[in-house]
Amino acid sequence: MKPFDIVIVGGGGAGLYAAMEAMKTNPALNIAVLSKVYPNRSHTSAAQGGANAALGNKAKDDTVEMHIFDTIKGSDYLADQDAVDVLCSEAPKIIRELENMGTPWSRMEDNTIAQRPFGGAGRPRCCYCSDKTGHTILQTLYEQCLKKGVIFFNEYFALNLSVSGSRSNGLIAMNMKSGKVEAFPAKTVIFATGGYAKMYWNRSSNAAGNTGDGQAIAYRAGIPLKDMEFVQFHPTGLRKSGLLVTEGARGEGGYLLNKDGERFMSRYAPEKMELGPRDLVSRSLETEILQGRGFDSPAGKYLHLDLTHLGADLIKSRLPQIREMSMNFEGIDPIEEPIPVRPTAHYSMGGIDTDNQTRTVMGGVYAAGECGCVSVHGANRLGGNSLLDILVFGRIAGHTAAEEAGKFSPGTISEAELAEQFEEIRGGMHTSGRYERYGELREELGQTLALNVGIFRESSLLQKGIADIAELKERFKKVRISDASDVFNTNLMQVLELKNMLDLAETVAAGASVRQESRGSHTRIDFPVRDDANWHKHTLATLVNGKVTLGEKPVTMGRYELQERTY
Amino acid sequence: MTVPTDQHKEGKKDVTFRVFRFNPQVDSKPYFDDYTIPVERGVTVLRSLNYIKEHIDGSVSFRAFCQAGICGSCGMRVNGLSQLACTTQVWDVLAKSREPGIIKVEPLRNLPLIKDLIVDMDPLVDKMKHYSNWVDSTMPEAQMGKKEFLISEEEFLRYDKATDCILCASCVSECSILRANREYVSPAVLLKSYRMNVDSRDAIHEQRLAELVKDHGVWDCTHCYRCQESCVKSIPIMDAIHGIREDAIESRGMKDTSGSKHAEAFMSDIEKKGKLIEATLPIRTNGVVWTLQNLLPMAMKMIMKRRTPPPPPLVKSAKGIKIFRKMFREMTEHVKQDHKSHKK
Repeated sequence: MKPFDIVIVGGGGAGLYAAMEAMKTNPALNIAVLSKVYPNRSHTSAAQGGANAALGNKAKDDTVEMHIFDTIKGSDYLADQDAVDVLCSEAPKIIRELENMGTPWSRMEDNTIAQRPFGGAGRPRCCYCSDKTGHTILQTLYEQCLKKGVIFFNEYFALNLSVSGSRSNGLIAMNMKSGKVEAFPAKTVIFATGGYAKMYWNRSSNAAGNTGDGQAIAYRAGIPLKDMEFVQFHPTGLRKSGLLVTEGARGEGGYLLNKDGERFMSRYAPEKMELGPRDLVSRSLETEILQGRGFDSPAGKYLHLDLTHLGADLIKSRLPQIREMSMNFEGIDPIEEPIPVRPTAHYSMGGIDTDNQTRTVMGGVYAAGECGCVSVHGANRLGGNSLLDILVFGRIAGHTAAEEAGKFSPGTISEAELAEQFEEIRGGMHTSGRYERYGELREELGQTLALNVGIFRESSLLQKGIADIAELKERFKKVRISDASDVFNTNLMQVLELKNMLDLAETVAAGASVRQESRGSHTRIDFPVRDDANWHKHTLATLVNGKVTLGEKPVTMGRYELQERTY
Repeated sequence: MTVPTDQHKEGKKDVTFRVFRFNPQVDSKPYFDDYTIPVERGVTVLRSLNYIKEHIDGSVSFRAFCQAGICGSCGMRVNGLSQLACTTQVWDVLAKSREPGIIKVEPLRNLPLIKDLIVDMDPLVDKMKHYSNWVDSTMPEAQMGKKEFLISEEEFLRYDKATDCILCASCVSECSILRANREYVSPAVLLKSYRMNVDSRDAIHEQRLAELVKDHGVWDCTHCYRCQESCVKSIPIMDAIHGIREDAIESRGMKDTSGSKHAEAFMSDIEKKGKLIEATLPIRTNGVVWTLQNLLPMAMKMIMKRRTPPPPPLVKSAKGIKIFRKMFREMTEHVKQDHKSHKK
């Protein structure tokens, strides 16, 4: 089989932009996009708020420079400053490019793209389409890919890279419709599979499939993962489901209230109030709850996000999805009543270690979007920077892979290797005697992570978390797959996803345990301050002889010196 | 066995989920499996299915991804009605259930079945491609990224609602035309086509319209409104379908297709008589040759059974036709004005 020039794993914003850009860079290339769902289902669709770009449509004095500074400060100075420079400088161009291709951005009175304030940003620079921004961007990109004739392999579940020595031969994936394990020999592979925050399960805003498949595959292939301990908790998840209420709700003027009806953010961020950066606002909510100022319910303690003072018109026109979700999943109409919320695991700053061109340490393997870690978000991502990240670095990945594909000559992926993979993934179908249920293991993983590797971390908690994960991995060996069929075996797929989450959970807990400081989303009760002397650096987690091995990498500095981060 | 919920402790109900099962590898035809679980208020159909899959029968197969009503994966028929399982409350369904305590869960209609509740979405994607469901920008690719198109709020509002579509295919499943003819363009694709056609950035309106007025296209819709009624995002899909038709007539002229001629015949009859002149309707829609070739046997049967509609001279004007004609003229004028202001 002739190798593909580029195989893109993942059909969300990053994957689709990569495909489009690769075709633009060299139309002669043979490109395939693999996705475990139809691309238009990807989790990019759930991004409500918007994408940051210093267009200056709303605030005439906004500049790329200010966007860069906000991002670096927001990252608690862990972002690489040259990478942030790329992110913010490319932002206005890429937003306009999407606009030119048909993205239905909301509009200002002068008919330019509308912008609104967002957490941690000095100017209102978040471009949006009401509260369905990610959805409309994903639709636009999917439509444009269909127009360009991109070849899609929909509902293929990526299993592993085929590796000879330090060289990638391409990808091995399972065709969900047939259950067959198939080879995708490829000169280059781009991972764009999204984040891994679903490992927190019910305490996560993520889609069920955000299980870090790309990161886990890269990790198993010996590629280092960077800054895995940094998981962002979004301040306002719905109490029962963990589903997200966009920051746009606070951007439009919503209040956070405790059970005494107090706007408690005045204690933590007196200037920015509800629009402080996410890590700070999440900690504030958690502190209010821990100190007994939360509301009680059988589902756990929670606080109020109050939109009632904004009025029915504004809520209906600017936040319709939020209203719909509150009604569907909490039975509450935000026009009449405050929404019950608490922090929820939302975004993974960590990911596959890449350079500014999205290259990993393995030749011909790239990673972009939430799957990769350049790093532009450092220890904490600003709202509105994640859609931007997938667009900017998805495009760079497509361009780079297209330029470099000619350099690589992959080896073959043998039938024997495929057969071995097939046997391995279906091992759980032959489990006999006492067995484990994957659903229970998955829930327990989420619980131990939320409890021990959550918003507030501490040495003994983390040790408990690490032990729990090890035990879960042991029990996973006895997991049973009860669906024996080849056709669309979602049972098998969910077990494989759990395996990926367990592998990655180890790296998250290990990173959190070794980093003895508090920075951005990573808060250690036993090390409450940022320790620049010892910890102003990235962590790298590599799989060596079946064990997570930690290394480090310096942070690239630039114009901005380290400062204390206050809002 | 209780699907765990939290808040409402006012009770549980034993609910039987009657789930459509079909595994093409072993089953010659579909069947139903019953799973009975106690369900508390506030639990969705999807959460119940997840519970059944995790705790009772891992082989029950369905798609689910975001579980929050935005990705469109979990479209299925719940007690006969196509909807998203993740936003459908079990107790709400029970309240309207014909068989007490039983909820029937089946795959979407009008798309090829793969397994259990999973259907093949490829035909829908193929239609999106066939009808160019994308903005083909008036701006050359090399120019992109430099400056914005200036779009008025008014234009934005024209396609805002249509861009809510998450391609869950509930409308596809409910469409009565698709049941008779799977080649029919389908409501979701008409909606998307409309959304592209009213976008001033798009350069291929005419080309798209030319495709839409062909066989299996926009004129095949019979206005049953089931697509609109079942839309999980409450999108006025019929407005889009009417929009495409109006656009087609305006830019391509009345005589262009049998669909537009049919509409014209309707209009002229209503204006003249206040009711239809059915005897000549097929001729005015499809021409004499087509009518003779296709409808002659039926016409003969109708004559035998004395069921023929009255010949045109015998069709009397409806009562109050004068007042009606005045109203009709006012309405036509109004629509014209509306179109003019739209164009601006």
